[in-house]
Amino acid sequence: MSRRLPVYILIDTSGSMKGEPIESVKVGIEAMLSSLRSEPYALESVNISIITYDREVKVLMPLTPLEDFQLPTIVVPESGPTHTGAALELLCKQVDSEVRLSTPERKGDWMPLLFLLTDGKPSDIQVYNQVISEVKKRHFATIVACAAGMHAKTDPLKQLTDQVFTLDTMDSASFRKFFQWVSNTIEIGNKSIGATNDIELPPPPDEVNVIV
Amino acid sequence: MELNKEIKDLLSNNILINCSDEEVIDFLTWRIKKDWQEYDKERMDKAVVIKNKIDALPISFPNGTVGKEYHASFSLPDDLVEDYWLEDVEAIGLKDEVNPTDNSCNLSGVPTEAGSYTFRLCYKYKGWVRGMANLERKFTIAINPDPKTLWKNIPTPTDIEYYQPDSECGYVKVESKNGQPQKDIVVASQRGRSHAHEGNPRDDHYRVEYLEQSGWYIMAVADGAGSAKYSRKGSSLACDAAVDHCKQFFADEKKVKDFEEYITVYNAEGNDEYKKLLGDYIYQLVGNAAFKGYKAIETEAKSHENVPMKLYSTTLLLSVCKKFDFGWFVGSFWVGDGAMCIYDKERQYIKLLGTPDGGEFAGQTRFLTMPEIFTDQASFYGRLRFSIEQDFTALMLMTDGVSDPMFETDANLNKVEMWDALYENISKEVELSDDNAESQYQLLKWLDFWSQGNHDDRTIAILY
Repeated sequence: MSRRLPVYILIDTSGSMKGEPIESVKVGIEAMLSSLRSEPYALESVNISIITYDREVKVLMPLTPLEDFQLPTIVVPESGPTHTGAALELLCKQVDSEVRLSTPERKGDWMPLLFLLTDGKPSDIQVYNQVISEVKKRHFATIVACAAGMHAKTDPLKQLTDQVFTLDTMDSASFRKFFQWVSNTIEIGNKSIGATNDIELPPPPDEVNVIV
Repeated sequence: MELNKEIKDLLSNNILINCSDEEVIDFLTWRIKKDWQEYDKERMDKAVVIKNKIDALPISFPNGTVGKEYHASFSLPDDLVEDYWLEDVEAIGLKDEVNPTDNSCNLSGVPTEAGSYTFRLCYKYKGWVRGMANLERKFTIAINPDPKTLWKNIPTPTDIEYYQPDSECGYVKVESKNGQPQKDIVVASQRGRSHAHEGNPRDDHYRVEYLEQSGWYIMAVADGAGSAKYSRKGSSLACDAAVDHCKQFFADEKKVKDFEEYITVYNAEGNDEYKKLLGDYIYQLVGNAAFKGYKAIETEAKSHENVPMKLYSTTLLLSVCKKFDFGWFVGSFWVGDGAMCIYDKERQYIKLLGTPDGGEFAGQTRFLTMPEIFTDQASFYGRLRFSIEQDFTALMLMTDGVSDPMFETDANLNKVEMWDALYENISKEVELSDDNAESQYQLLKWLDFWSQGNHDDRTIAILY
């Protein structure tokens, strides 16, 4: 059993994502999977979990090896709030039960990566603010937050991580580029072994704007 | 159209009086259309019900891998489906076989090409008759490439800073004395696949020596951290500075004479006073050697535009030993991961010369370049070891590129059967006989072994 690189992807599935945005996200994720599958190190170590959040938060796919991963159907409700805080709470629970730490008898995983995608802002802002310190205790090697579309708010995301990016449009070209970049970041995560805990992110594509 | 006379009579006699042929035909058309619509709706509803049931069945197909036997099986309930088959699976290199007795289906074969494939489960539902459309359910699976075929081997550009060759090996031959074969050292270091794939340099390093005059062996291996930019220089500076320091120590005849005398007395009497004295020597010898390694890196970092030392992060495993009449004296220093161990096959004896430094997550370890290694006295002493040992099969030093795939966990490092397995594994390909300098190339070749997910640089030094 080789060491795993756990990758958590949190996807906003609130009503505003219905239609083209969510379809584009799916296309983007599929492209990311296929790109990662062509990288031998990723193929041998990357494990992916997808958590979706709207009014409900759910583990769409628990931590699954890349080779076995199949993207399930993503259902988006007509409307409703965006429970980003609850999603992060669920994330912490999942990390605690899925990510393996080293013990004398067991090989530990690599430090996990987190990618969060939203097109709005947390509706459960209190929960969100409280859970941030818990997320930080989970030792993610990197947390990348992406605010997609005109209505996405970056301020709450900046509390979670200093790696905040925006996408101007929510079409398939933008998401494809974004997930391609996610896949590059995962590959770098795969190689950053040892001395430093911070992953140096690859330069984002033009469609992805850096928020300073 | 000529209406059948009997029908005409029948109709005329009963309901339709004095109707023309055209009227009857019109009536029948009207009637049939209505019935057909009702019939069509009913059978469509039935098909939808069955389709929903089939779509809801927990049928899934796992992903496959190129060149690897694929197998999946499922069955459809025979109260819903008369006949079914898979379409478009040939493109994946798979074949479906339906067993009519239990309505089960086997999908198998060996996929030939990687990619994402969509295929269809087509079926004739219960009540289907010729002319009706088949129903279907779509599935998508991924065929993964065989990771072995994806690794590239790009040579490291020779014009980079601190270039070092992608692989290296060596042999220290010690001639027999008084007809007694003497232990030799074989060593090899190979760039890991993860580095080769990117054309990045090897970060591991080693240095081994035998000092003819004093009869001491010195061995050092170091693993530069993959994520640290100049770690290849860190590992070579650590090995060189540490070994040079030991050589210097052993060049001082008086010092060596005293040291060896203490060893002899300690062996004979084993008292604490001599143990303490020897501890001081070990501190001076391997402890200071490690510190010299640290200093060498510090100096280099300063002269290199004053970059942080952590860019040179490296582990260090260092061992000095000598054979006496009463056995071997072995001293060592260890910081970081990897393994360093005395192994005797016959006695089924192992002795780890320290403990590997690990963290909660993979790849977390400690490095020589961390100042706390030297400032925390208690833990520093813990890294120094010395002991007197009976003759042994081998003394092995290796980086985690070898120890990780071979031992997997720290607990396994303490199991003699794991060392048996490692030694046997090596012996199959490497002829560890006295004075066999060829074995260095065999060892280098052995280092290329395949282990999924373990593609770090690999270095091993064996005194045997």
